[in-house]
Amino acid sequence: MGDVLTASCIYTSGMRAEILAVASAEVARARAGDLEALEEVFRAYQAPVYNLGRRICGNEEDAEDVLQDTFLEVCRSIGRFRGDGSLWSWVRQVAVSKALMLLRRERQRTARSLDGDGNLAGMVGRGPPEPTVPIDLEAALGRLAPVTRAVLWLHDVEGYTHEEIGELMGKTASFSKSQLSRAHRRLREWLK
Amino acid sequence: MTNERHLEMDELLALRDGEESAFARAHVESCEACRGELERLYRVRSELRALPTFGPPRELWPRIRRYVWRRRVRRRLSYGAVGLAAAAALAGLLILRGPAVEPADEWVAEATSEDLGPMINRARQLETVLQYYAPQKRVYDAPTALATSALEDRIFVLDQMLLESRAVGADREVLRGLWGERVLALEQLVTLQVVQEEKRVWR
Repeated sequence: MGDVLTASCIYTSGMRAEILAVASAEVARARAGDLEALEEVFRAYQAPVYNLGRRICGNEEDAEDVLQDTFLEVCRSIGRFRGDGSLWSWVRQVAVSKALMLLRRERQRTARSLDGDGNLAGMVGRGPPEPTVPIDLEAALGRLAPVTRAVLWLHDVEGYTHEEIGELMGKTASFSKSQLSRAHRRLREWLK
Repeated sequence: MTNERHLEMDELLALRDGEESAFARAHVESCEACRGELERLYRVRSELRALPTFGPPRELWPRIRRYVWRRRVRRRLSYGAVGLAAAAALAGLLILRGPAVEPADEWVAEATSEDLGPMINRARQLETVLQYYAPQKRVYDAPTALATSALEDRIFVLDQMLLESRAVGADREVLRGLWGERVLALEQLVTLQVVQEEKRVWR
């Protein structure tokens, strides 16, 4: 690697998490298909992509699938990355798509009926029995229905707008807003 | 509280995210309960962002790299005789379709040499056969797909080794060994395709 890597903030609102930005020369080499440069891209972004997958999907196995599928797609398509935004934004967009695709696949496999809002049971709003004592935030996240958790994470942590989330999920902005409300109502009950 | 009802969760979230209505803003200024709830929402968001970061439990890059290699090999085969065999073509031994490739002098020398020439020519013939079967476009059962992928990977690795061997001026014996292995892998790949085709015809 010839160029110096610089640190940049993943998130826009003062978050502590930081990742390495890949130098532009490396990006150019990666776009040309250079395997070493592609590995640099992987090394720089594997942790945040895995974490995103883990937070949205809620388990290690799916998070690994998100990581693998994301970078297979990155290796296939990086030549089409225009370079007008940050590489991380592009990689993250791919990762979110892959994570939501996994959720959809899981939903198709497990769901058998629709609830009153047209949402599939088991993925939205319905979860395990209510806890009888307060639980911590990590446990509460794990108890949320997958789609509800995904909306919460994308909006409150990743900074996506309701319009963007609605589009990513093939739904409306109102769907995203209602899921976020549902998530926070649940958290309020459980974290007391 | 000066207004008749407390704010709903979606109203509180809109307030937190700067999309509040005039009613919500006025209400929260005078309602201690809703102000407390709004502060709680800010706190939860901060806590969410401060949760520990998960890292991947195992190394995945080798698997991804293998996939990239395999895909490249498939693309090479799908374009027909390119790369190393193109050197032979441009040396006047063959007429091939595909993108023009400028042969390095040493490639031309190899393609016309007594010891390597026959193997390079044999590789070219096998690549031509593979163009007909187009393994990269076919759907196989799982064992055949795995065997095909493994052979394609092997051919790609051998190509890399041949290029590196040339670059460092490796011994002629090394080149003969690598070309021999490349021909063997191509023959196995062709055999796999022939067997599959026969199964398909007799099914």
